[in-house]
Amino acid sequence: MTASNGEKTVPATTPHGRGWPYWSVVTVAVVGLLVTVGLIVVSTILYHNNENRLLNLRTRDIGSVLTAAVPTVQSSVASTATFAEATNGNARKFDEFAQQFAGQGAGHTFVSMSLWRVDNPGAGPTTVVGAQPELAASMGKAAALFARAAASHKLTVLGLLDGPAPRIGYAYVEPGTNGPYAVYAESLLPAKRYSAPSNDSSFNDINYALYLGKTPTANTLLLTSAPRVPLPGHRAVVTIPFGDTFLTVRATRRASLAGSLPRDLPWVIGIVGVLLTIGAGALTIRLIQRRRRTEQLADENRRLYAEQRGIAQTLQHALLPAELPQLHGLQASARYEAGVEGVEIGGDWYDAIAVGDKRLLLVVGDVSGRGLQAATTMAALRYGIHAYAAQGDEPGTILTKLNKLVSVKSSGQLATVLCALVDPDARELTITSAGHLPPLLISDGRGEFVNTDVGLPIGVDRNAEYTSVTVPVAPGATLLAFTDGLVERRGESIDVGLGRLREHAASNHATLDELLTRVVSNLRHDGAEDDTAIAGIRWLS
Amino acid sequence: MTFELVSADEDAAVVKVTGELDITTIGDLEEAVQPILERGPQRLVIDVSSLRFADSSAIALWVKWSTIVRGLEIHDPQPLLRRVIDSMGLAQTLQVTP
Repeated sequence: MTASNGEKTVPATTPHGRGWPYWSVVTVAVVGLLVTVGLIVVSTILYHNNENRLLNLRTRDIGSVLTAAVPTVQSSVASTATFAEATNGNARKFDEFAQQFAGQGAGHTFVSMSLWRVDNPGAGPTTVVGAQPELAASMGKAAALFARAAASHKLTVLGLLDGPAPRIGYAYVEPGTNGPYAVYAESLLPAKRYSAPSNDSSFNDINYALYLGKTPTANTLLLTSAPRVPLPGHRAVVTIPFGDTFLTVRATRRASLAGSLPRDLPWVIGIVGVLLTIGAGALTIRLIQRRRRTEQLADENRRLYAEQRGIAQTLQHALLPAELPQLHGLQASARYEAGVEGVEIGGDWYDAIAVGDKRLLLVVGDVSGRGLQAATTMAALRYGIHAYAAQGDEPGTILTKLNKLVSVKSSGQLATVLCALVDPDARELTITSAGHLPPLLISDGRGEFVNTDVGLPIGVDRNAEYTSVTVPVAPGATLLAFTDGLVERRGESIDVGLGRLREHAASNHATLDELLTRVVSNLRHDGAEDDTAIAGIRWLS
Repeated sequence: MTFELVSADEDAAVVKVTGELDITTIGDLEEAVQPILERGPQRLVIDVSSLRFADSSAIALWVKWSTIVRGLEIHDPQPLLRRVIDSMGLAQTLQVTP
């Protein structure tokens, strides 16, 4: 005589073991800042590489300009030397010729040009055009210079000459002659050799310093656009041939050569990176908070679900009989199984009521729908049957009276009920069905569904009448009454389910309890939606 | 579950129900059919030829309608549903056709 508990699969509320929740924010911030710093470093390196490349190009441009200017100096001196040779050192003709190159004023390449005899430099210049050559003050220097010039047959450059204004000297001896004539020219350098770059110059974005020779020192500086030499910072260097020596250009940047955007790019990256990092951090915080709220809600929902399911099951079992009456010669047992969505109370029930000392009324019923409304109706019907049975009514009368308690028109509910009155002494069974599935009667290992006279479900028609059928019962027989949850599956005929029940219930070697357990476990598939009530009676002899 | 009002005039309405009808979906159907019931038609035909499943609460709803509309007709149920209606003894109440 047991009423088994329904499966209690209440999900446990698991406390979430979490530490400080904002580590991911720190991670996001650190990663964001590292990426930003990395990008700044990379963009700075790229910027400087690009600037240096541009500086080299610009410096080479300066070299090209100078390379183009060198022949002017060289050819002026060389052509004058050729002329002097051709005119046998005629001073008057030299003066006339050299006037195009030398003299005071901006139009002249040289400030001074003079004709010398290579074999006698100590005698001083034969003739002079323009200013007196500074060289004339140092005859030793002159002798060495003309000897070099005669040997090299190139424009021979004499370094800077001291004087009121710095000058640079050039000497040339016509090749193939060993003299006797040499032409010597001097050009003027700006005072302090500093010339501020003009804004419209194509080279105003760089500072340059021009040196004579390959070793840049303060003494070999010819010209610079920077107020101070040597030039600070990264320098590009270009060396170009100049007569028998070289010109060396050193240059540094005055401004960003590629424009302001590449220069400011690391700053832009830094600011954007920091802003994005802050944004990502804020977003992460919001996501964490939202997730925590969601988890709290989920916990709460799980708790409420478990509570509600617990209440539903408690109520359901409270509405079912705590134990079934014991009668001589009979064994009774029943099961109730909640559906998977067993949050709500169901409308299925079973009952067994002793009628007098000898007889037992077995009841199985199913109120349509779910929830409290179904449960309330179920309780009303169950206690109604108790009352009518106590008055001594037969099953047909019980259901006829019961039918007046419920109205589908007003409540939207109907109920199927099966009443079976068992009389062990008379070895017969009186069954009435209000729209309910037929019970299975198992005798000698064979199950047959009792052919009941199915009346309308309870609540459909107030005037419905219910008739009973009486069937004989063999010794040791078993009767199983059940609700549709046991045999009904979506997409399958209930006949298939009924057949399955007959097959699984056929062997009656087991005790009644074992039989019910086996039938329920074999017929209830996993995830059965509907709740199920099943009640059984066995005649012991 | 879906439903459509196939036709509706003063005297008769036809509602076609498709899919599966159970306690979670009957509310929508009841709400949709309520205005038709209020017009008091002579006939209400529920075409269930495409309904794969109906639980006891759906059948209870139809029975309720049958108490309101004299000419309620459950038209062309699939065999599984027909068998359930028969097992509940409701074939006549619900005027199952054909």
